[in-house]
Amino acid sequence: MTAVWAAPVPLVGRAATDVLFSATGRHVTAADLLDRAHQLAEALPDAAHVVNLCRDRCRFAIVLAAASLRGQVCLLTSDASRDRLCGFADRFDRICSVADDPAIRSPLHHLCVGLEPPDPAPVARTNPELPADRLAAVVFTSGSTGEPVGSPKTWGELAARSNAAAVRFVLAPGFPAGIVGTIPPWHMYGFETTVLLPLHASASSWCGPSFYPSDIRAGLAAVAPPRMLVTTPLQLRALLRAGIDLPPLARIISATAPLDAATALAAERRWATQVWEIFGATELGSIASRHTATDAGWTTYDGVRIARGEGSGAVVTAPLAQPGPLNDEVEVLAPTRFRLIGRSGDVVKVGGRRASLAGLNRILTGIPGVIDGVFVKPEDDRPTARMRAFVVAPERSAEEVLAELRARIDSAFLPRGVVRVAALPRNEVGKLPRDALRAMQPSDGDDG
Amino acid sequence: MATQPHYPDPLIGQLPFEREVATLLVEVLQLDLTADTIAPDDPLFNEGLGLDSIDALELALAISQNYGVELRSDDERNGKIFASLRSLAQHIETCRKR
Repeated sequence: MTAVWAAPVPLVGRAATDVLFSATGRHVTAADLLDRAHQLAEALPDAAHVVNLCRDRCRFAIVLAAASLRGQVCLLTSDASRDRLCGFADRFDRICSVADDPAIRSPLHHLCVGLEPPDPAPVARTNPELPADRLAAVVFTSGSTGEPVGSPKTWGELAARSNAAAVRFVLAPGFPAGIVGTIPPWHMYGFETTVLLPLHASASSWCGPSFYPSDIRAGLAAVAPPRMLVTTPLQLRALLRAGIDLPPLARIISATAPLDAATALAAERRWATQVWEIFGATELGSIASRHTATDAGWTTYDGVRIARGEGSGAVVTAPLAQPGPLNDEVEVLAPTRFRLIGRSGDVVKVGGRRASLAGLNRILTGIPGVIDGVFVKPEDDRPTARMRAFVVAPERSAEEVLAELRARIDSAFLPRGVVRVAALPRNEVGKLPRDALRAMQPSDGDDG
Repeated sequence: MATQPHYPDPLIGQLPFEREVATLLVEVLQLDLTADTIAPDDPLFNEGLGLDSIDALELALAISQNYGVELRSDDERNGKIFASLRSLAQHIETCRKR
């Protein structure tokens, strides 16, 4: 690839008076954000890398901007454990951490930023133009696809993707979307939709609580229309089961795991809205979307192309980003269209037949009475080895679930055992880390 | 503030309503124990019963459906409400609509 010159990116691509973040009694405009970022930049330790552990999206964005003003790179991680932070210290020199929760203890040179407003006297509000190839962040995976690996992100790449998302989700200037996101800001999907979109596209992000269904309703009521709920299949199902009314909602966006069309349709009917899914990965960011109820295939974001790679893989090219392999098995239908077969490492072969674990899981969680569920591949490679399924289904027996599965899937993929559990060991974005899944496996035979 | 026990369980000291909430906990979260073994003052999350945030979401749904009490992430109160069976039961009793 030849290097392509790209225009610099403003740190904040919004008008000074635009509201970027809000919570009860708090509105942070682009000018406010820059003020605070400049103030914090002076207080940041002399470091090259800043582990951004802030939970509040606005403070997270301020730390990101402040670090950028100092030429520092943010590290994003869901794991703030001592082990993980010490691991960072081994890999990155001149490192510090910033959090907004005093309960977080860091072994690194650490700064805790508070809730107090900045000094009333505004400081210089320069909004620097950043070179497109300047590193903004390194995002670490949540671990459901193996050991944590860092994915470097440049400002040019992040801004270009925010603009593509703005086109796809019709974030029009003059009609800023009020985004209520339920995903943490350090997760790539939450980072893109709830931190970066407000910086570069016509959107404002809610910083109040968004965990319980009633939090989500309160957040949506507090933001200005057009409202957009950015969430996960897990939380969307909980919201449906709560059966609550929501303020007029322009769009629901889901990611992190495949959403079944039935749930999408139920949500569309319940709240007279549209449910869209984003396809992405930490390594690549968001690359495609689909209207779940009507489209089985995915359409790439503007400027993003997909092509067949070696074997069953595919390669994604996106503006200002390094071309990257897609760690999922897909069928490329056109340079801008593809169909998902399964996450790699997710495709199971039994008796010469292939299926996607994601697809099987979607069928499993679509069974009435099954609140959550997962298929687990056998640990050994024997061709006769069968899968197991774990379900959260208080009102269904293991036998009933198995009977439902028998009616829906190829017998080769029927699990040898259906194990009812109280809950699956999902992490904060609803993913199931491999180790936690492995730990759930009963040592010997079970019911079903 | 705390109501005095009326008919404390002789073994573990659960009030009648605490027993009811404990039963709900065991049913909803399919805990591998019986309701009468949950000590009212033991922590529910992490080191206690070992519940996590997904359990909190499940529990919030059940409490809303059974008692009409909606849980919110009100920063200060939430940690206290979920601190123990006793605090959770007291919160539901105070706020219940049915």
